Amino acid sequence: MTSVPAVERPRVVHHGLGRIFFSKPIRVLGLSIILLYILMALLGPVIFPPQIALVANPAKVFQGPTWADPLGTDFQGVSVLAEVVLGARGVLMVGIAAAFFIVVLGVLVGLVAGFVGGLVDTVLMRVTDLFIAVPQFPLLLLVASILNTSSPWMLVLMLSLTSWGALARSVRSQVLSLRERDFVEAARGLGLGTRNIAFKVILPNMLSYVAMNFMISITGAIYAEVGLLFLGVTPFNPDNWGVMLRQAAGTSGALYTTKSMFYVLAPLLAILLLQSGIIFVLGALDEVFNPRLRKGGARA
Amino acid sequence: MMRTIRRFGVAVVMIWMVTTLTFFLIRLMPGNPIATAYQTLLQQGMTAQQAAVQIHILYDVYPNQPVLTQYFVYLWNLVHGNLGTSIVYTGRPVLGLILAAAPWTLLLVSMGLLISFVIGLLLGVIVAIHRDTWIDNLTSQVASVFHGVPNYITGFIFLYFFTVMWPWFPFGNIYNPSIAVGLTFPFVASVAYHAVLPVAAYVFGAFGGWTLSTKSAAMAVLGDDFMMADKIRGLTSAQRLDHLVNNSILPLFTGFVLSLGFMFGGSVFIESMFSIPGLGYLVQSATTQRDYPVMQATFMLLSAAVILANFAADTLYSRIDPRIRN
Amino acid sequence: MSEVAVAVDDLVVEFSSDEGPVRAVDRVNLQLERGKILGLIGESGCGKTTVAHAMLNAVAEPGRIVRGRIHYAGHGDLLGMSEEAQRLFRWQHVSVVFQASQNTLNPLQRIEAQIRELARAHRISNPNALVGRAREICDRLRLDGRRMLDAYPHQLSGGMRQRVGIMLALLLQPEIILFDEPTTALDSLSQESVLRIIEEIHAKEGISGVFITHDLGIVAEVADVVAVMYAGRIVETAPTGTLFNAPRHPYSRALLNALPRLTGDPRAAKGLTGAPPKVVGEVAGCLFRERCRFQTAQCKMAEPVLTSVDADHRVACFKINEEDGRASV
Repeated sequence: MTSVPAVERPRVVHHGLGRIFFSKPIRVLGLSIILLYILMALLGPVIFPPQIALVANPAKVFQGPTWADPLGTDFQGVSVLAEVVLGARGVLMVGIAAAFFIVVLGVLVGLVAGFVGGLVDTVLMRVTDLFIAVPQFPLLLLVASILNTSSPWMLVLMLSLTSWGALARSVRSQVLSLRERDFVEAARGLGLGTRNIAFKVILPNMLSYVAMNFMISITGAIYAEVGLLFLGVTPFNPDNWGVMLRQAAGTSGALYTTKSMFYVLAPLLAILLLQSGIIFVLGALDEVFNPRLRKGGARA
Repeated sequence: MMRTIRRFGVAVVMIWMVTTLTFFLIRLMPGNPIATAYQTLLQQGMTAQQAAVQIHILYDVYPNQPVLTQYFVYLWNLVHGNLGTSIVYTGRPVLGLILAAAPWTLLLVSMGLLISFVIGLLLGVIVAIHRDTWIDNLTSQVASVFHGVPNYITGFIFLYFFTVMWPWFPFGNIYNPSIAVGLTFPFVASVAYHAVLPVAAYVFGAFGGWTLSTKSAAMAVLGDDFMMADKIRGLTSAQRLDHLVNNSILPLFTGFVLSLGFMFGGSVFIESMFSIPGLGYLVQSATTQRDYPVMQATFMLLSAAVILANFAADTLYSRIDPRIRN
Repeated sequence: MSEVAVAVDDLVVEFSSDEGPVRAVDRVNLQLERGKILGLIGESGCGKTTVAHAMLNAVAEPGRIVRGRIHYAGHGDLLGMSEEAQRLFRWQHVSVVFQASQNTLNPLQRIEAQIRELARAHRISNPNALVGRAREICDRLRLDGRRMLDAYPHQLSGGMRQRVGIMLALLLQPEIILFDEPTTALDSLSQESVLRIIEEIHAKEGISGVFITHDLGIVAEVADVVAVMYAGRIVETAPTGTLFNAPRHPYSRALLNALPRLTGDPRAAKGLTGAPPKVVGEVAGCLFRERCRFQTAQCKMAEPVLTSVDADHRVACFKINEEDGRASV
């Protein structure tokens, strides 16, 4: 069996998009989950106005689910559901922004290294190797503790600066294999300049790969962001799932009572559910971009 | 041989680069701790000289020296095994702290890696053999969701359910402090008991990835001509499975060795969550308490682990794959 | 008529696909006489290799044998045997020389280890003797036995690995060997020497063989009888001489036409245009008609079946009496 290259000629993507998404219930589920989170991020403060929803109520500490508070209450008597919904905006914004910069940086470095080659390639790849070798989380900790800032943009900057390496590497190797392909040769034959070929011929061919990496990077960035807040390295930043976790593990005393189950699990499940939604949709994207995956196909 | 030496050279250079990067990162960033501390001391009414002496006692550097001089002093000390002294644990050498912490991390991380690898290998091969059946669909979907779930989520869930909800396992530390340390049965048993949840957290965070990569490796091997020929030659199912597993492990090997390096970095969450006195805990506590000599040294160590794992993966791979050997 | 070593009866193999089951092999009947070599020819993708794998009940997924019998003299129908009996039958009684032998060996084991594995699989009590025999065969095939057994598959050159493949096929002294394009991947020099070896074995050991190839020149050299396959069906079978001198099926004629001849104008060699159809579900009519010069309405209505035109000569075509158009092309 011959190996199938990761990147194929661009295909008509819109054809059958709906069919692919609706062919498996799990993909519809994934799409619904993502829509739910986007709605939470957009409408959260409308549904739960923070100045009302986040007011402490000592009479309701660590309550189980009720009609008023479907996910129970936390150590201050605040509705857990309100906290989760209000946390979505910050978490998603940082995740999406960081993923955007990761993809831009990774693709740019990979494209330039693979296309220009020579000394530029060597230098860029050495730097990339360095960023890959440095363990992301400890580096984040180090930088976060030095910068000591609660600005979400600083967080985005840190997250993207520490995670673009792997993408740059694989983009570079894809560029190297693509440049030998017929249609790139043809473009060169037509007298297109290097920059034109890189951005107008090669980049569109990697679009599927880049799109999927963008989605994966979102989850990665969210994990790192929540993790940093959980460890409490960056200054306190209210209504974020990571802060909920941090309080659950620490000062709130939630770990000393079994009544806190909903409070402890809610932020964890919020993250897991988002991850599941993205994974389910990724399967569909994979199929849209790689038609060979469309079931079966005789292998005679 | 020359290749190995060259690669080792590259690894050493990379470690040096990381060291340098960290050094200047800490000193040149806005709000760098040494300058801040120096200013604070001056504001508290110390003379410049007193403050400098105080800073030297705390940080092992002379604040008025040019940064480059400080850097060379740091490197000189480093190659002599002197990583400085801790600020929080006053006066304790950083090297000692690291050596005391490292064994616990090594134990938990390698157990977690090994167990998750074996589980992932088994599931991946089973799924590849039964591809496109419900076993495949279910397992692959579960593995995809777990793949990339950070271990603080699995850890937290285990922590809450098995130490709070149902207190079956101990909470915190890696052994019962009332048992004397030593290679005795009670001590080893206590360590094993304390290690269950953290190791399980590593395993649940990592098995999904191994399952997926084993699946794709095994599916490629199943499509290879020799698997078809094995059947035609009348080899037994056990022999054919053996060929399948051995050939599927090969492409995973590099990733396996590399993740040993990366999992050290992931130990930060598990160890601070379960209060295990390992490297991750050291990194976390040093960071929250701004213990810069410790931060710098542990960070360097964690990076070196990845770089050396990379070197080991390259060198060892050529030994296990006969096609690369010559 | 001499004894039949293996008879394939009404064999149907299907591969599942999106559009439905694809018939890779359709109602194939073949007979291999003891001590003879049967040439199986056709374009790539016509189902030759699938027939060979089906003869060992080892069709790769997602293919499966839908019906048919593979009757071996003295053993009965292979498909009726238990799994374990089938496993032991393979290679002990029928072995295969593969197209690219290197890829058919486990890349992680030395040849000797693979021979010992074969011994264990086939419950051979003295594996050392088998290794010794392997070394002996190597010597006979003009290979350095010690070096071969010590090598990993990737260390062998093209000609060497094909001879190692032959060695492995001979190892358990089977009665039948299936040669699946054994010379296709080789340069012409190695090709010649491998052919010589196969002829030698055939002559000395009286082994029966099926020789699969798309190269008519090779078939003319080694085969006693030839079966021509097209789109999963046998369209003509005849003794080699008959087929080459008086082909009756338009497809066979076209194949022979495509063969460059030493005599005559090389420009007369004419390849076949178009490609064979993919057979999904039930089909009506002759599958070759789209590429056939003699096509008539009848060819669309019904599918021709193999019919005897001579004692050993059978053809599946309505137009067998059509004038050979070679001169007019």
